[in-house]
Amino acid sequence: MSTMIFCAAVSVFFLLPQSLRLDEAQSLWESGRSPSALLMIVAKDVHVPLFHILLHMWRVAFGSSVAAARSLSLVFYILSIPAIYILGRLAYSRSTGLYASVLFGLSPFMNWYGNEIRMYALFTLLIILNQFFFLRIIKQGSARIWIGYGTTAMLGIYTHYLFFLSLAAQAVFYFLHRSLFPPRSLARFSIVAAVLVFSFAPWVWYVYALKEAGMQLPLLMPPTTVDLFNTFSQFVFGFQDDTLNTIFVSLWPITVILVFLALRRGARFRFETEYFLYTIICSFAALFIGSFVLTPVFVSRYLIFTVPSLYLVLAHFFDAYPPRLAQAARWSVAIVMVAGLVIQIQSPATPVKENYRQVVTYINEHAGPQDTIILSTPFTIYPIEYYYHSPATLATLPIWNRYDTGPIPAFSPAQLPAQVATLTDGYQKAWLVLSYDQGYEQTIKSYFDQHYRRIGTEHFSRDLDLYVYQLRYDTPLARQ
Amino acid sequence: MSDRKHSFLRTESPRVLLAFNAIMAITYFIAITFFFMPGNRILFGFLIAGEAFHLWQVLTFLYTVWDTRHIAPRNTLLRPSVDVYITAAGESIEIMEATVRAAKQMTYPSFKVYILNDGYVAGKKNWRDMETLAARLGVSCITRQIPGGAKAGNINHALSLTRSPLIAIFDADHVPHADFLAKTVPYFVDDKVAFVQTPQFYKNLEKSHLTNGSWEQQELFFGPICKGKNRLNSATLCGTNMVISRAALATVGGMKTDSIAEDFVTGLLMHARGYRSVYVPEVLAEGLATEDLRSYSTQQFRWARGAFDVIFRYNPLFMRGLTGAQRIQYLSSASFYLSGIVVMIDALLPIAFFYTGAVAVQMNSMLLAAIFLPYIFLTFYVIQRVSNAHFTFRSLGFSMGSFSIHTAAFFAALTGRKNDFLVTSKRALEGNFLPIVKWHLFYCALALVGIVVAYDREGVTASLLNNSMWALFNVTIFIPFIYASWPEKANAAVAVQRSAEEALRREDILSPGQLMQTQSSYAD
Repeated sequence: MSTMIFCAAVSVFFLLPQSLRLDEAQSLWESGRSPSALLMIVAKDVHVPLFHILLHMWRVAFGSSVAAARSLSLVFYILSIPAIYILGRLAYSRSTGLYASVLFGLSPFMNWYGNEIRMYALFTLLIILNQFFFLRIIKQGSARIWIGYGTTAMLGIYTHYLFFLSLAAQAVFYFLHRSLFPPRSLARFSIVAAVLVFSFAPWVWYVYALKEAGMQLPLLMPPTTVDLFNTFSQFVFGFQDDTLNTIFVSLWPITVILVFLALRRGARFRFETEYFLYTIICSFAALFIGSFVLTPVFVSRYLIFTVPSLYLVLAHFFDAYPPRLAQAARWSVAIVMVAGLVIQIQSPATPVKENYRQVVTYINEHAGPQDTIILSTPFTIYPIEYYYHSPATLATLPIWNRYDTGPIPAFSPAQLPAQVATLTDGYQKAWLVLSYDQGYEQTIKSYFDQHYRRIGTEHFSRDLDLYVYQLRYDTPLARQ
Repeated sequence: MSDRKHSFLRTESPRVLLAFNAIMAITYFIAITFFFMPGNRILFGFLIAGEAFHLWQVLTFLYTVWDTRHIAPRNTLLRPSVDVYITAAGESIEIMEATVRAAKQMTYPSFKVYILNDGYVAGKKNWRDMETLAARLGVSCITRQIPGGAKAGNINHALSLTRSPLIAIFDADHVPHADFLAKTVPYFVDDKVAFVQTPQFYKNLEKSHLTNGSWEQQELFFGPICKGKNRLNSATLCGTNMVISRAALATVGGMKTDSIAEDFVTGLLMHARGYRSVYVPEVLAEGLATEDLRSYSTQQFRWARGAFDVIFRYNPLFMRGLTGAQRIQYLSSASFYLSGIVVMIDALLPIAFFYTGAVAVQMNSMLLAAIFLPYIFLTFYVIQRVSNAHFTFRSLGFSMGSFSIHTAAFFAALTGRKNDFLVTSKRALEGNFLPIVKWHLFYCALALVGIVVAYDREGVTASLLNNSMWALFNVTIFIPFIYASWPEKANAAVAVQRSAEEALRREDILSPGQLMQTQSSYAD
C-alpha cells in the first residue's frame, strides 16, 4: 500500500505535470477520433486498439487534459503493484513478492511509463495477470484459472502485438516442462490458442485490408550490443544522460559478482525462475534478431513486459544470499533505484524528456502572423499542435497532411528547395523546430543556414531545437 | 549432515544443455581470439592463454560429465581375502583407534587389519603408542625401520609382508563403514580391475568455514567428475578409501615412491598397463578435513605439486598404453592446478590497466559483455545442474584463492625443487595464518592504489569503471580464502579444540600422555 501511495505521490507531484511527449500526443490525437476512425488510425500505426478505446472512454468520462489522460496509465500502473506482489507470492514467497513490488514501485523506468499516455502500463498489468494465471495452471488448473488465463491473453494481444512474445515464451516453457502441468493441459492450451487466433483474426484481416500498417513507423536503427545493455540499464536505473548511463553499463562485471555470490549449496533454479528467464531471454532474443531479419524494432519500451519477470528474478535471486548480504543487496538496489528516479525526474538532461510545451510556449510568445513555423520530423506536429495557439502558420517538412491517406511522405533532397519555397513564400521569419531526427534533420538545417540568415537558436531538451531565420528584409517590420 | 553424504552423488547430465554450453564456450573463445582487436600484445597473449585454458577446462568437464550413470559389472558372491592397511605417521591415537575399531567391524568374511606405522621413520613421538594400540585392539602393526618413499614406501613395505590378493587402504582418519569391503570387492570380478575408489568424505565438514569450503570443493570432484571418469575407465586413485589389486600393483612396481602424488601416478601407471578402474559413488568411509589454513595450504601444495609432476614427468599425452579418453582425463585432472597461474594472470589484467593504461583487447566493452555473460552464466548454471546444486561461491573462492599455492607448486615442479611429503594435520593448528594470504592482501592494496592512479591519469572513464569492477570481482573471490586466515577465526578453531580436549580430559578419555601426543601432532 505504501508503495502504491509513493507512486501516486511521485506521479501527481512530478510526472503528471510534465510536457506532453510525441507518442502521448499521438495517443491523444488518435483517441480523440470517432471509434471507427480511431480503429483505422491505430491499425495504420503498428498498434492494437484496446488502450486507445479505453482512453477514448476515459477522456469522455474524465476530461481531455494531459493529466487526466495520464492518470489512466497511472491507474494501471498502481494496480500492477499489488498484482506483481501476488505473482511473486505465488511464484516464490510473500517476502519475495513484497520486495519485487517495492522494486516495481520505485523503478524509474516503470514510473515513467506508468505516467505516459500509451499502452505500456496496461500491457505490463496484463502481462503480470497473465503470468499469474499461467503459473496457477501449474499449481491448480481449475476452470476459473483457465478462463482468467485466456481472458488476460486476449486482452493482452489487443494491447500490444508483442504480447505474443510472452505467449511464445510460455509455449517454449510448456514444451520443455510439460510434466509440470496438469493432465489434458495440452488440449486446453490448444483451445485457448484457437480462441485467441479466432478472436484476433478480424483485426489481422482489417489491418491487412487497409494495406497501410506501419507506414508511419519512425526510423529505427538496427540494435547493437550497446542498445541491449542500455535496455537493462534503463530497466534498473531508468533513463539517465549519456555520462551516467555509461557509468552504469560499464559496471557490468558486477553482475558476475552478484551471480557468483548466489552460488550456494542447494540453491537450485526453480521452475518459476526458469519461466521468468525464458520470458526475458526469448523476448530479447526475438526482438534483437527480428530487428535484423525483419525490421528494426528493438526499443526498451517494447520490452517493458519483461520488467516484472526481471524484478521477480532479481528479488528471488537475493534469497540465495546469506541473510545479511541479502539485506544489504536488497537495500542497495532499492536505494540505487530511488536515486535513479530522483535524477530522472530532476535532470533536464534526461534523454526521454521532450519539452514540446516549452518550445511551443516560446513560439506562442514570440512568433507573429507574418511568420511560419516549420516542423521536422512531420509527426512531431502532434505534441506541438496540442499546445499551439500562435497566429503563425504551422507546417511540416516534408509537407504532410495528416488527414490524407497513405504514409508520411518520404524526405527528398531534390524536392527540398521547392518545398521550402512553398512553406516560406510571403513570410517574414521561419521558425524551424527540429526533433526526432529521421536521418534528414541536418540536411534541412544546412539548407536553411545556407539560404537564410539565422537570427536565433534555442535548445529545449535533448534533440529538440528551435532555429529562427530571417526570410525577408523588405517589410517594415523587418526593417525595424 | 546425513543428506550431505548422499546429495552430492545425485548428479544429472542434461545433454542438450551440455552441448549448448560447449558451443557457447567455443564461440566465446573464437570471438575473443580472432574477432577482437588486440590491445597490448603481451597482455593479449596472456589473456588468450588464459582463455584457452578455461576452454580446455570447460570442454573436458562437459566431456567428463556427459554421462554419469555408468555402473561397472560386479559379483556380490566374490569374497577374496583382503589386507586392510591403515597408514599412520604420527596421527593421534584416538583418531587411529576409531579407524581401527571401525575397520575391524567391517562385515566381510576374510580380511586382516594392519596399522602401517611410519611414526618411527617419521620421527614421531607416539610411534610406540601405535604398537600398543594395535596389540590392545588385536590387529597387526607393521612399523617401518628403514625410511624412504613416505606413505608410498610405507605401503610397499607392508606389501612385502602380507599376502592377500586385495589391499584396502585408509588414511588414519578415514573411518570405514561396516559395508566398505562388501560393497567394493565385488567389482574385482574382472581380473583387469586394478582398483576401486570411493569418495573421500569429511565428517567434520560443518566444523568451520574452512572445513565446509574444503568439502564443497570435493563435492564437485567426487560427485559428477568421478562418476564421469568411471564411465571413461579413468577413475582417480586417491590414496585412501580404496581397494587395490595386489597383482595390478605389482606390475607397476608397487606404489610410486618418486612422486609426491604417489596415488595419482600409481593409478595412471596401472591404467597404462591396461588395467581398469572403478569408482563407487557411495560414501563408504568418513575422514577429516584440514581444520586450519596452514594444513589446507600444505595439502593443496602437495596435490598441486603432484599434479605438476604428472605433467612434467609422467605426461599422459606421451605415455603408451592409455586410451584417448584416459589421456584427456589425466591431463585434465593434472592441469586443474594450472588454474592458479591463470587466476593470477586474469587478476593482473586490471592492475596493468590501472598503472599503465594498457588493455588486452581494444573493443566495445558491451560487445564483450554480450558474449561473455551468457557464456559464463550458462557454464555455472550447467555446473549447478550437473552437481545437484553443490557448487558454491565458497568452493570457488577456495579454488581461486589458492592461486598463490598452486603457482608456488608450479614453479617448484618446474625447477625440480624437492618437497617432502608432509602429512596434513587432522587437528587445527594454532597461529597466525595471515602470511598465507599476503598475496591476496597485497592484491587488494595494489588494486586500491591502482584505481587512484588510473583516476588521476584519465578521470572517470568507462575503462576505469570496467577494470575497477574486474578488480573488485577478484577481491570478492578472494574473500572466502582471506576469511579463513583471519586470526580470530583461526584462534576460534583452536579454542574449540582446546575446550573439547579439556572436556575429554575431564572424562578421563584422554590420558595426559595422549594429550601431549595430540598436541605434538600440530608440528606436522
